[in-house]
Amino acid sequence: MKKILYILPILTALTIVSCGLDNRDEPESTIRGRVVYNGEAVGVRGTGEAVQLQLFQDGYELTNPVPVYVTQDGTFEIKIFDGEYKLVTRNNNGPWVNDRDTTVVRLQGMTDVDINVTPLFTLSNVSLALNGTSLSASFQANEVTQGWDIDYATIVVGRTSFVDDVSYTVRRDLRDIDTGVLTTELVDLTENADFKNGRALYARIGLRAAGKDQSIYSQVVKLR
Amino acid sequence: MKTTSISIFKIILLFCSMTYLQSCSDFLERQPDQILTDDQIFGDKVMIRSVLANFYGRVTWGQHIGDWYSFTVLDEAGKSDQGPDNMQNFGNEHWRVSNYELIRNFNQFLKGLRESTVLNDTEKQEYEGEVRFLRAWTYFNMCRGLGGMPIVGDEVFEYISGMDVGSLQYPRATEAEMYDYIIAECEAASLMLPASTNTNAARANRWVALMLKARSAIYAGSLANYNNKMTSPIRTPGGEVGIAANLANAYYEKALQAAQEVINTSPYSLQLTKPDDLERNFYEALSVKTNNTEVIWARDHGYPGEGQQVNFTTMNIPGSHAEDIDRAAAGPILNLVEDFEYVDDRNGDIKIRDDQGNFIFYDDPLDAFANKDARLGGSVILPNALFRGTAVEVQAGHKVWNNGTWQTVTSTPGERDNAGRVITSANGPNRSNEQFINKSGFFFRKFLDETPGASTRGRNSDMWFPRFRFAEAVLIAAEAAMELGQQSIALGYINQIRSRAGIQPLASITVDDIIQERRVEFAFENHRYWDLKRFRRAHIIWNGVVNSPNAQHWALFPYLVVAPGTPNDGKFVFDRLTFSNSLHPRFFELRNYYNFIDLGWQNANPKIVLNPFQ
Repeated sequence: MKKILYILPILTALTIVSCGLDNRDEPESTIRGRVVYNGEAVGVRGTGEAVQLQLFQDGYELTNPVPVYVTQDGTFEIKIFDGEYKLVTRNNNGPWVNDRDTTVVRLQGMTDVDINVTPLFTLSNVSLALNGTSLSASFQANEVTQGWDIDYATIVVGRTSFVDDVSYTVRRDLRDIDTGVLTTELVDLTENADFKNGRALYARIGLRAAGKDQSIYSQVVKLR
Repeated sequence: MKTTSISIFKIILLFCSMTYLQSCSDFLERQPDQILTDDQIFGDKVMIRSVLANFYGRVTWGQHIGDWYSFTVLDEAGKSDQGPDNMQNFGNEHWRVSNYELIRNFNQFLKGLRESTVLNDTEKQEYEGEVRFLRAWTYFNMCRGLGGMPIVGDEVFEYISGMDVGSLQYPRATEAEMYDYIIAECEAASLMLPASTNTNAARANRWVALMLKARSAIYAGSLANYNNKMTSPIRTPGGEVGIAANLANAYYEKALQAAQEVINTSPYSLQLTKPDDLERNFYEALSVKTNNTEVIWARDHGYPGEGQQVNFTTMNIPGSHAEDIDRAAAGPILNLVEDFEYVDDRNGDIKIRDDQGNFIFYDDPLDAFANKDARLGGSVILPNALFRGTAVEVQAGHKVWNNGTWQTVTSTPGERDNAGRVITSANGPNRSNEQFINKSGFFFRKFLDETPGASTRGRNSDMWFPRFRFAEAVLIAAEAAMELGQQSIALGYINQIRSRAGIQPLASITVDDIIQERRVEFAFENHRYWDLKRFRRAHIIWNGVVNSPNAQHWALFPYLVVAPGTPNDGKFVFDRLTFSNSLHPRFFELRNYYNFIDLGWQNANPKIVLNPFQ
């Protein structure tokens, strides 16, 4: 009898224990890619999950997309399981024509994929350089899609390479930008704390089309 | 006799035995005393009333005094309690309302009420009007965040295992249908509800329903109007978001008609009991319940038997007047203060420097706000203004004249210099993240309870939060008339509001005047956010640009001048500074015009389409 009483706690201990470790493997395959126009990656705001693509997979009961975050140089990367996916830009998101055509991605291990978009405007001949105590900037805005106006161009300077219209220490907005001609601007940095302290400085140029939620950006330039 | 020792082993043994050696009895089989059947509720007048009371407790959303932090989210106030405010973007679910459980409860109530035999027809009709109004109010709160959502009518959905859920899945209504439904329900409810007023304006009556009708119509009108004036209007192909431009005038006419009905025939008025003291008059019109003729519907926080329920006063009272440990959790910011006009100057900027950039000296800090709109003093406690009869000292430090320059001297709050003069006042402001110290230079006055004891944790306050008041009817009428091209009628209405505020009348009126007037009249009243959304101005005003005049939060710091031997010694000067506790400017993006649809809702109901930008 006594023995049974001793066995009882052990028995209970065994019943209380739950089942083992998580029995699913982590995703190990990677989709890597770029958002491109004419073979060149499109610069966007990379902070705040601002620009996203959506990854759908058919054949399951629920159809919610997996968000894919585009980083500032226009690249993206996602770890996910092997399978066939559809990659789409998010509705009305990004400095390009809202086109929700799907790109089919067959993933096995590692896949590179380019998402082709048509920007409203592009930036070319971008030059950003320190000139004494000023930042000397020049760029040319080019119309790609008709029917849109330029709201403003913006020159942003930050202390890290994550520089955009939200993360910046210096910002200069320029209105009345003409397309097809070179726009130049000098931005005085004497009041900027990072400039005075000799810290690293990064800069780039953004261009916002009126009525769009995001600007298109040039690639980040390290000023010093 | 041997004493019994209870060993751990025996306790474990007991526990283990209990898991195995229990037996069964019907001890647990009893009637629930927490869950009542429909017959029990709708067979009892008192129960019906208590269900209704429960509904009133579930219809507060957005900005309100039960959530003081909600005032710091926009450009009205800033957070001053401890750590900084890290808010950078508006969330996709910001102030989102989607409460179909509540809608279902309303519909259950309506069904039970219509079958009930304990109420007479008049009582039934009034209750029905009340609940249909509350349902319309709920839809309205959903619609202004999400756009059109499924309208389920009077349906009480029941899911029985195995049934086809397709019949429970309703698609989203269009935004226009949604506003049409709300307006129609308000019309129906207004005919059922009594015209008389009730205690503390806590319950819906005919005028409340008409106010919601007017507000819904003006929202729909301005959405139809201003959305289509955007460079790329925000809409979905099915119209769940976006109202056609040609519908605007019909909505404006409905809004004008409903607002005029309230203005001309309701028992309420633009409260003017103290024409000699317009500041006090404005405070009392908003924040004093006794003999109030202004407020049409409010969330009351005094409950019979439960006492006072809201801690807005406790949290935000100036330190010098605090009765408990809590104080100064948030303070109005300069952005709001400067938006109040001067009596004869529409530019409300506080004059702190002359044309040469030199300080302007004031004998009393309060003098810097002389000749301002009376509503400023009625909404905000200015430096050195009175609260509960004593001055609220607000002083950031000293400005010391030293070798030809002004030196700023600050101290720990409450510290004095050798001459015995306070350096930084115990109230603040300062720029640290210390809690209980003001950071903006101003305190709330609107909704701050003057009753002794109202700022203690034990008692709290029974301050109400007005949802509809007479001035809104007047400003809706002004806006609708202006949009319909009836300038003189519009001017007549807006100038009534301005005259009560003691400022010059307007000679012409545009939408900017409406936005401006609503900004100052309805500060802290859950209007600003929705107004800037419906006028499609939010992304322009809250543009996210650092140190921009509107998106950045600003503070105004008063300093005592220390310059012995000069005429300015002992006077006051001001510095305009960024509000240190809000780290980022407010940034409202295009995607924020409509909340995101939760993907879970779409999973449960594939007929739900997503909002733009999603």
